[in-house]
Amino acid sequence: MDILHPATLSDALAALREPGARAVAGGTALQVDWSQGKARPDILVTLGALGLDTVQMTEGQCLRIGATVTLDVLDQNALVAGHLPLLACALRDVAAPSVRRLATLGGQLGWGNGCLLPALLALGARVGHTTEQGPRDTPLAQWLAAPAGLVLWLDVPVQPVGARWCWRKVGLRAAFTPSIIAVAGVMCPSHGARLAAGGGAVRPQGLPASATALESGADMPTLRTLLANEIDAPDCPFRSRAYRKRVGAAALVAGLGLGRGLGQGTQATAAQGPLPKDANPAGLRPLARNLSSPGWHMRPDMPAKVAGDAGYLTDLRTPDMLVGRILRAGRPHARILSIDTRAAQAMPGVHAVVTHADIAGLNAFGIMRQDQPALCADVVRHQGDAVAAVAAIDAQTADAALAAIVVDYTDLPPVTDPATALVPSSPALHAGGNLVAEFGLDRGEPATAFATAAHVVEDTYVTPRQMHAFMETEGGWCAPTPDGGVIVAVGGQHGARDREQLARILALPEDKIRVITSPTGGGFGGKDELTVQPALALLAIKAGRAVRLHLSREESTLAGVKRNPMRISMRTACDAVGHLLAQEVHVLADCGAYASLSPAVVETAMEHAAGPYRIAHVTSHGRLVYTNNGTGGAFRGFGANQMTFAIECQIDRLAAACGLDPAEMRRRNLRVPGSPGYLGHRVAGSERLHEMVQAAAASALWRPVTTTDNDIHATGMALNYQGNGLGSLPHDSAEGRLSLAADGKIEVACGLDEMGQGLLPALQAAVATHLGCARSDVRAIVGDTAHSPDSGSTSASRGGYVAWQIGARTGPALAQRLLDAAAGILDTPADDLRIVAGGIAHKGQNSATPPMLDFARLAAHLGGERLPAETTAFDFPKTHYTAGNARFVHCFGATLARVSIDRVTGMVRVMELEMHTAAGPVIDLSAYLGQIEGGVVQGLGMTLSEDTLITRGHMITRNLDSYILPGIRDVPAQFHVTALEGLDADDTLGPRGVGELGIGAVTAAIANAVGAGLGRWPATTPIPPEVILNMLEGRS
Amino acid sequence: MTHIAFTLNGAETALHCAPDRPLVTILREDLGLTGTKLACGVGRCGACMVLLDGAAVNACLLMAWQVAGRRVDTIEGVRKDPRFAPMLAALAQANSFQCGYCAAGVTIALAGALGGPEDPDDAALTTALEGNICRCTGYQSILHGAQDARARLRAERST
Repeated sequence: MDILHPATLSDALAALREPGARAVAGGTALQVDWSQGKARPDILVTLGALGLDTVQMTEGQCLRIGATVTLDVLDQNALVAGHLPLLACALRDVAAPSVRRLATLGGQLGWGNGCLLPALLALGARVGHTTEQGPRDTPLAQWLAAPAGLVLWLDVPVQPVGARWCWRKVGLRAAFTPSIIAVAGVMCPSHGARLAAGGGAVRPQGLPASATALESGADMPTLRTLLANEIDAPDCPFRSRAYRKRVGAAALVAGLGLGRGLGQGTQATAAQGPLPKDANPAGLRPLARNLSSPGWHMRPDMPAKVAGDAGYLTDLRTPDMLVGRILRAGRPHARILSIDTRAAQAMPGVHAVVTHADIAGLNAFGIMRQDQPALCADVVRHQGDAVAAVAAIDAQTADAALAAIVVDYTDLPPVTDPATALVPSSPALHAGGNLVAEFGLDRGEPATAFATAAHVVEDTYVTPRQMHAFMETEGGWCAPTPDGGVIVAVGGQHGARDREQLARILALPEDKIRVITSPTGGGFGGKDELTVQPALALLAIKAGRAVRLHLSREESTLAGVKRNPMRISMRTACDAVGHLLAQEVHVLADCGAYASLSPAVVETAMEHAAGPYRIAHVTSHGRLVYTNNGTGGAFRGFGANQMTFAIECQIDRLAAACGLDPAEMRRRNLRVPGSPGYLGHRVAGSERLHEMVQAAAASALWRPVTTTDNDIHATGMALNYQGNGLGSLPHDSAEGRLSLAADGKIEVACGLDEMGQGLLPALQAAVATHLGCARSDVRAIVGDTAHSPDSGSTSASRGGYVAWQIGARTGPALAQRLLDAAAGILDTPADDLRIVAGGIAHKGQNSATPPMLDFARLAAHLGGERLPAETTAFDFPKTHYTAGNARFVHCFGATLARVSIDRVTGMVRVMELEMHTAAGPVIDLSAYLGQIEGGVVQGLGMTLSEDTLITRGHMITRNLDSYILPGIRDVPAQFHVTALEGLDADDTLGPRGVGELGIGAVTAAIANAVGAGLGRWPATTPIPPEVILNMLEGRS
Repeated sequence: MTHIAFTLNGAETALHCAPDRPLVTILREDLGLTGTKLACGVGRCGACMVLLDGAAVNACLLMAWQVAGRRVDTIEGVRKDPRFAPMLAALAQANSFQCGYCAAGVTIALAGALGGPEDPDDAALTTALEGNICRCTGYQSILHGAQDARARLRAERST
């Protein structure tokens, strides 16, 4: 590509006459186009030197805005603020500040579908542009119909003083959102009305017929109908044409103050939910971010992370390192006829090309069953399937080599609907057929119980293919070792298991493989299974050199596991006073192409089918089905949060049917502490469900439902009941080691991974508590099979328990050995000594004075050979139930959401969030709070905006522009978390894990808040705004 | 291929590269400055933010030709700049991040917002972070750290 920087307009025009030339200002829109596959021009002609960067008032009372003025400059311009309030308002809805610093007003036109175009149309802007005859100006609408010449400026007439105006961009989240539709209007007696729509897929358009009707005094319903008819809008994978037209019309009507947006409701309030008459349970502690409190500790890894110096595994570069790339199938289902890598191999700079033929061991992996090829040999089953990989001297060479690999496929019909996949005529994706797993439970006589019930509610709850969207995509490096082994350094969640799986694939003994998995830039279950490790290791072995590889977001989206979409059909019955009688549950879950942990996900969902409630008569049936829809696996919540959505909404619906408040309904049905779990299995004590209901009932969020012209505010709750650990069937154990290191640090080694959850502070806290030293004395060694023992997987909310137990089981013994050693050195009986921050002190010594013997001196005295170490190995606490997988340990919570339901757009926002938790003692305040808040917001995303869209096996979602993560404007302004930390007197288990507690019930809490506000419950997530609009209008 | 000269973290820097090569690639792949993170490549997450003449922009949206003659500061520069030391300390003390992969970008966004002459109010701080995605925290800890950073910088200025 050539970049030309003409200094004059005539030079610019001459340059633009070159074939393949394109004008560029900020380049942001161009790059969006390129990322979506549009060809790059041969020549970019920059406009920066043409003096088109000014904003001036013209004699004709217009603001003349140069084409290269950035949106950020425009946003800060006093003339714009004073004379074009509509434009000023609209500017802040375009992209984000960082993008607005590059994007220009001219680019909005050059791109053709900038969000600002409807605002400029409504303002009556004219485009100054070049023609063969020199500059002239053309009304914007006319110019858009036939864009011509180079845009030089826009003339925007100042808004008439006293004019009514409105601007509304409707998107997919609160800020920095793709546009679904944007509308603008200006109306005043002297100038008449001008209305416009556009944004995203909606072509920019004036709405003259509606404007004329508005001028002639059409009433609100007429105008809304006219507008909806006049707005020309398409369907897209996110929103329908009908939604766009409806919302565009409503937004204009509401924005111009012509009436409320939608619905016939009047301003009203009604009582809702339990009133704040309950007191909070004793011991409930608000978790505040008080940095000066003694419970607040800076994480050991935090300064480096803030400084961008944390040393992620995708950051390492050494001079001899090759760059790896993986060839993805790019098609959902196909037979491989041949793979020809000769051209790629022959390219200069290419050091290795690998295919299935290079696999010495088993070409299959999978935590539960090995059904996924490391590199496909004969069949590809989803677009992201890996077929080959290359390692080359740099990324460009690797990309070129990848493009030179010729794979001959025969496409097979994709299997994309789980129900259809089970039909015998459907192609079988694996030898055993498409039914991956099936779980059932029958107890009592549900049919009889349903027949006697006073109330029965039934719905099908649909949950999305949520993407983990960890900020660090899958990647890392791999290097061969002199002994014929490999070091594999890739972000993960269980190094020892990664090693076991890699050993099978590479046909290497496990002791020849070192797996490093920390630090990891986010996991959430998405790095539990192997990701890029097989391809990377094969490349490094074949090349005989270190190789690094880091997936682009597009490739991560295509290839990474996702949350299994579920359809949960649930029918629940109670008697007239709200006692639950019977429940019938059918689950159909989409596995995607490979099993990974999906069978366990569905089994966990089924285990949570009744939530924390007593239901005597149940029948439940869950099925997991192979499809070509990408591939699924573990994700925080692990099926329990999906099922909680269903059961907790059922409870609220039955409460409404019985005339009970949500808390009272739950009280009447909570499981009795100490009673068997849902499957009839024994469960651990310290149950705190009644206390959680009590805390929820006492919440200040229970304010009346409030209806205004614009929105409806309402509150909902849901209980959390989350099993911890892998369950009764899988092997679930942990090892840990505590030692005095030669430099005097107390070193705790644990094979879990630091992925952000706070393993390091948890280990520091556990050791400091049980040894008696300070946190700063402790160094944690994690996530490296060469230096830390196998502590099991960093998943299933098990890390908190494991970290604490390592401290509890090694700390006292090491303390005694340190004291004994110190006794000899200090010539003082060990019984008179104690461990304090920094070392060993006399028991009578003032805690303010330094220790008599610091750890470094103790270590020096002992020398390398005699440094004491303690190891431990233990099982995660389990129940003995073996008829299915059952959890012994649970943690508890209550989640409350106060939502705002927008009457114009149907979009739901969470305004206030409160979460009460009971998971035993808080190990580390900051990490605990972070897990709860982060989990809640991840659940909020799943509830309101997140879904990976796939059509006929092809991903529609490609990157974070089409996967809508919650941003800072989407999170509740009020967010309160409490902890009830006490355990039963005989409880020796200690702290529970809270990694999945936050995400567990927020979906249900939000849906129940909507139910409280509208009297109808959304059952599909992410909640479609169109469904909410239908509810508002009383349509089904 | 073209020659580009710009100021990177205070040092005059010359590049020979394709003119449309994204700055984030230049930083991470050509110069080994991996403090700047790449997480979407299309300007939607903010992980790659750098300061361009003092204002936060996405390095994945900056083509090489666009930085010619400009001043670029990455997290490697910001972390050595004593002006920003109180901000980094505040974010660390507040445990603003979890996995930390968004941290450099957020820190840069805040450096841009807090490095100017005007003290942003809470709303302006939130606006400054509209372009940064954090998948771990739910943003509460980041906002808290940002407010504390503002207070520390304010205190620094008034002494």
